[in-house]
Amino acid sequence: MRLNDAVLGVILLLFAAAVIVHAQTSFPGLPGQDYGPAFFPTVIGSGLALCGIIFVIQGVARLREVPLVRLGSWASSSRHVANLLVVLGALLFYILLSDILGFFITSTVLLTGLLVQFRNRFLPSLGMAVAATFVVHFFFYKMLLVPLPWGFLEPFAW
Amino acid sequence: MDVFITALGLVFDPYVLMVIFLSAVFGLFVGSIPGLTATMATALLVPVTFFMEPVPAIAAIGTAVAMAIFAGDIPGALLRIPGTPASAAYVDEAYTLTQKGQAERALGTSLVCAAFGGLFGIVVLTTSAPALAEFALNFSSFEYFWLACLGLTCAAVISTEAPVRGLVSLLIGLFISTIGIGIVGGYPRFTFNITELLGGVSFIPAMIGMFAVSEILRYATQTGERPVIPQQPIRNLFKGLGPILWRYKVNMVRGSVIGTGIGALPGAGADIAAWIAYAISKKSSKEPEKFGTGHVEGLVDSGSANNAGLGGAWVPAIVFGIPGDSVTAIVIGVLFMKGMNPGPTVFLYEPQLIYAVFIAFFLANIALIPLGFIAIRSARQVLRIPRRALMPLILIFCIVGAFAINNTVFGVIIMLILGVLAWIMEENHIPVAPAILGIVLGPLLEDNFLTSMIKSEGSLLGFFERPISAVLGVMTLAAWLLPLVLWLLRKRRSAGASAAP
Amino acid sequence: MKILRTAKTLMLATIGAALMAGAAAAAYPERPITVVVPWGAGGGTDFTGRLIATVMQKKLGVPVNVVNRTGGQGVVGHSAIANAKPDGYTLGVATVEIVMMHWVGLTDLTYKNYTSIGLYNADPAGVQVAADSPWQDVKSLLADIKANPGKFKGSGTAQGGIWHLALAGMLKTAGIDPNAAPWVPSKGAAPGLKELVAGGVSIVTCSPTEAAPLRDAGKVRILAVMGDERMKAFPDVPTLKEDAGVDWAIGAWRGLTGPAGLPQEVTDKLVATFAEVVKDPDFVDGMNKRGFPIVYKAPADHIEFMKTSDVNMGEVMKAIGLAK
Repeated sequence: MRLNDAVLGVILLLFAAAVIVHAQTSFPGLPGQDYGPAFFPTVIGSGLALCGIIFVIQGVARLREVPLVRLGSWASSSRHVANLLVVLGALLFYILLSDILGFFITSTVLLTGLLVQFRNRFLPSLGMAVAATFVVHFFFYKMLLVPLPWGFLEPFAW
Repeated sequence: MDVFITALGLVFDPYVLMVIFLSAVFGLFVGSIPGLTATMATALLVPVTFFMEPVPAIAAIGTAVAMAIFAGDIPGALLRIPGTPASAAYVDEAYTLTQKGQAERALGTSLVCAAFGGLFGIVVLTTSAPALAEFALNFSSFEYFWLACLGLTCAAVISTEAPVRGLVSLLIGLFISTIGIGIVGGYPRFTFNITELLGGVSFIPAMIGMFAVSEILRYATQTGERPVIPQQPIRNLFKGLGPILWRYKVNMVRGSVIGTGIGALPGAGADIAAWIAYAISKKSSKEPEKFGTGHVEGLVDSGSANNAGLGGAWVPAIVFGIPGDSVTAIVIGVLFMKGMNPGPTVFLYEPQLIYAVFIAFFLANIALIPLGFIAIRSARQVLRIPRRALMPLILIFCIVGAFAINNTVFGVIIMLILGVLAWIMEENHIPVAPAILGIVLGPLLEDNFLTSMIKSEGSLLGFFERPISAVLGVMTLAAWLLPLVLWLLRKRRSAGASAAP
Repeated sequence: MKILRTAKTLMLATIGAALMAGAAAAAYPERPITVVVPWGAGGGTDFTGRLIATVMQKKLGVPVNVVNRTGGQGVVGHSAIANAKPDGYTLGVATVEIVMMHWVGLTDLTYKNYTSIGLYNADPAGVQVAADSPWQDVKSLLADIKANPGKFKGSGTAQGGIWHLALAGMLKTAGIDPNAAPWVPSKGAAPGLKELVAGGVSIVTCSPTEAAPLRDAGKVRILAVMGDERMKAFPDVPTLKEDAGVDWAIGAWRGLTGPAGLPQEVTDKLVATFAEVVKDPDFVDGMNKRGFPIVYKAPADHIEFMKTSDVNMGEVMKAIGLAK
C-alpha cells in the first residue's frame, strides 16, 4: 500500500497534533521543574509535525505523477488478499483464544490453517502442525520453563 | 604466579569443563531463538547454579551469554529475525548477504569477530578492570545524555539516502518508548487505562514484530516471481575468510574497543555498542556506499563490539557491584550467593577464584569457534525448507518468543500491531531500523535529560560544566553540525562553479 | 471445510476427555506452580523469589517456576497476581509497593486483594553519602539540608518509590520541609549509587545491603539505618534514632501471597510449607549471604503489618504531595 507523500504527511500531522495536545493538556508537571512528563512527547510531536509538513510539500509537488493511494499488485489478487487476512487472522486467533483453548489446540489449528493457505497439501500440513506444536511446546515449556497456556486441557497438564 | 596456577587447576577440572560445554550448547540454543535473550538464558541458569561451586557457577553464566549473543546472529542472517537485541543493528546487512548467496561469509565473519571481540573484552577485564571501572563511575546523567544523543546520530548514518524518512522512523521509535510510566515523571503516558501498557512497550516483542512479522506479511502479499534464495552449501565456513578479516583488522580492533568501553558503562550494554560500532564503521569506511547492500565491513565492527561489550559489562559489576547490563545484574546476585562479594576485595581475598572465572571465560570464547561452526551448519538446514512451509513455522516461534519475554499474550498483541506498522512503513520506503534504535535509546535520552535538569535546577549549562560531559557535548554537536557545514560549503562552491562560465 | 470439521471433532473429543479427568480431583499440588515476581530478573525481589521457588519445589515435590512480570513500577506484576485464578497454582511475591501505589491512583489494588501466605523479609532503608563528603553522621547532614534547602539532592529509585518516601519521611519527622532535598529519580538503587559516586547527587536512601560493595571499595559511607534496631550485617551502623534522634523507621518488605479467595485447604498447605521454607538451611544461607534479613510473619501478623504500613505510607505520601 503505497501512499502519496502528501497523504502520509497529513497522517503524520494529525498524529503529531494528537500527541502534543494530549501531552500538554493531561500530563502533570513535576513540582518546581520546567521540564516534566509532557516535555519529550511534545518535542517528538513537533519533530513529527515538521516531517509531516516536508512530506506534504514534497507530495503535492509530485501529485500529478504519484496517485494519492496506490495499492500493491496483491490487492487485485484474491489469493494474496486472503494470504494477508489469514496471517493477521492467525495472530488474532492466538491472541483471543490461546487462554481458552490452550497452546496445543491453538497452535495446531493456526499452523494447519496457515500452511494450507500457503498452498501446502492438507494432510502433510496437519502432520507438520502437530509435530511443530509438540516440538515447540517441549522446548519452551519443558526446557525453558515458559508457562504456555493449557486452557481447558489444564487437567492433563504435564 | 601461584595464584594463576591454582586458578588453572580450578578450571581444568573435568566437571568444570563439562559445565562450560553444556552451558555453551544451552546458550547457542537460547540465543538462536528469537525472543529468548541472553538475560533469560542467565535467569534460567540461576537455579541450576545454586548447587555448584563458585567457579563453574559463574563460568556457566559467562559462557552461555557469550554463545547467546553470537547465536543471535544466526536467525538474523538466515531469516532477518535477530535472535537477541544485540544483533538488531546489522540484521539487514547480514540478511542481504544471505540473499546474495553469501550466508556462509556473513556467518563466518560474525563468528570469528564474536570470538575475537569476546577475547578482547576478557583480556581488558583481566588486566585493567579496576582502572576502567573507576573511569566509568565518573559518568553521571549529563554524560549519559550526550552518549544517547551520539547514539541518535547513528540513525542518520543508517538512513542516508532519505534523511527525512529516517527521521520519521526514529521519531516513531522515540514515541513508542514514551508509552508507560516513566521513571522520572511517575505518570502513566499514552496508556489509555490499560494495565499492561503501564509497563510500556517491551522491546523484544516490538523487535520481533517489526522485523519478523513484517517479513511474513511481505511474503504473504508478494505477487509474481519470488526471489529465490540460492542454495548455499556451508561446507567450509572459514574458506576465504582470512583475507577479509585481514583487510578489516582495524575494524575488528576498533569494534572491540568500542564494545568494551560502552559495555563498561552501567546501563548501556551490548546492543547499544553494536549500533554505535556499526555507525562508526560506516562513517569511517572508504566505501560507505556499499553499506546496506550486503557488505561485511559493518558486520566486522558490530559483531566484534557486541561480544566485547560482555567483557566490559563485568567490569563495574565485579569491581563495584554495579551492573553493566541486565545479565550482570543477575550475576551480582550469584556472586553474593557464592561468597565472592563484588568489590575490590574480590581481587584480594581469594584471587584464584576470580582469575579462574576469567580463564573460564577465555576458554568459552575459544570454544565459540568450533561450537558456533556446528550451530551454523545445523541452522542452515533452515534455508532448505521451502518458504511456504517455513513462514508459518517462523510465525509460531515469533508468537511464543513474544509471549515468553513477559509471559503474557499482551506481548503477542504488541508484536502484531508493530508488525503491521513496520509493514506499512516499509511499503512506503520508511526504514525500520531507526525506529528500533529510537525504542532502545528513548528512555536513556529522556530519563537522563530530565534528571539532569532536576540536578542543575533547569540550567542547560549543566551539560557543559563537567569535563567529560563537555567533551562529549562538543563531540555530539560537531557530529551534527559538521555535515551541515560541509554540505553548505559544497553547495556554495558548486553554485560558484556553475555561475562562473 | 475439511479443516473445520477435523478441528471440531478433535475439540469435542478433548472436551469429553477433560470432563472425565476433572471428576477425579487429586490433592494439591499436582502440577507445576508459578510464582509471579513483579520486578526484573536480577533484583533483590527476583533473587528471593527464585530462592523460595527452589526450596518450595523441594518441599512440595512439584516444579515451582518463577515468572517475572515487570513494568509500571510493580503495578503490572501485582495485578497479575491479584487477577490470577485462585487455585493455588499461581502465587506471587507482593512487595511494599502494594500499600503505596493505590495512594497515587495508579491502581485500585490494595493488600486486601491478596491471600497472605507469609512475610519473609523486611529491609530497612539506609542513609548513604559519598565517602568524600563532609558528613560523618545524619545529624550534620540534616542540619546542612535545613540550612540550604534545595541544594542537596537524593536518589535511589523512581519518583514516589519506597526510597524516595524514606528520605521525605525522615525530613518530615525531623521537622524539615520534605522538599528541601529534591528527589532525582533513578531506575533503581544501583544507578542511584552510581550517581552518588559520580557526584550527581548527595544522598542515597536505599537498602544498605545494596551499598555494601561500594562501602567496601571506600566510595560510600553508610551513616544510619531507618530501622527499630541495628542490622545484623552492619553492626557498626547506628539506627536513625540513635544517631540523630529522629524516630522514623521505613523499609522495603516482601511477602508470599496468592490472589484473594484461595481455597482454605490450599492456603493451609501453603502456609505450613512456607513456615518450613523460611527455616530451611538453604533458604537461610542464601538470604544471609546476600545480606537480606529474614523476617517471618505468619498470615495474621502479615496482614496486620500491611494494614499499619498502608496507613503510614498514605500519611507520608500526602505530606509530600504525592497521594491524590
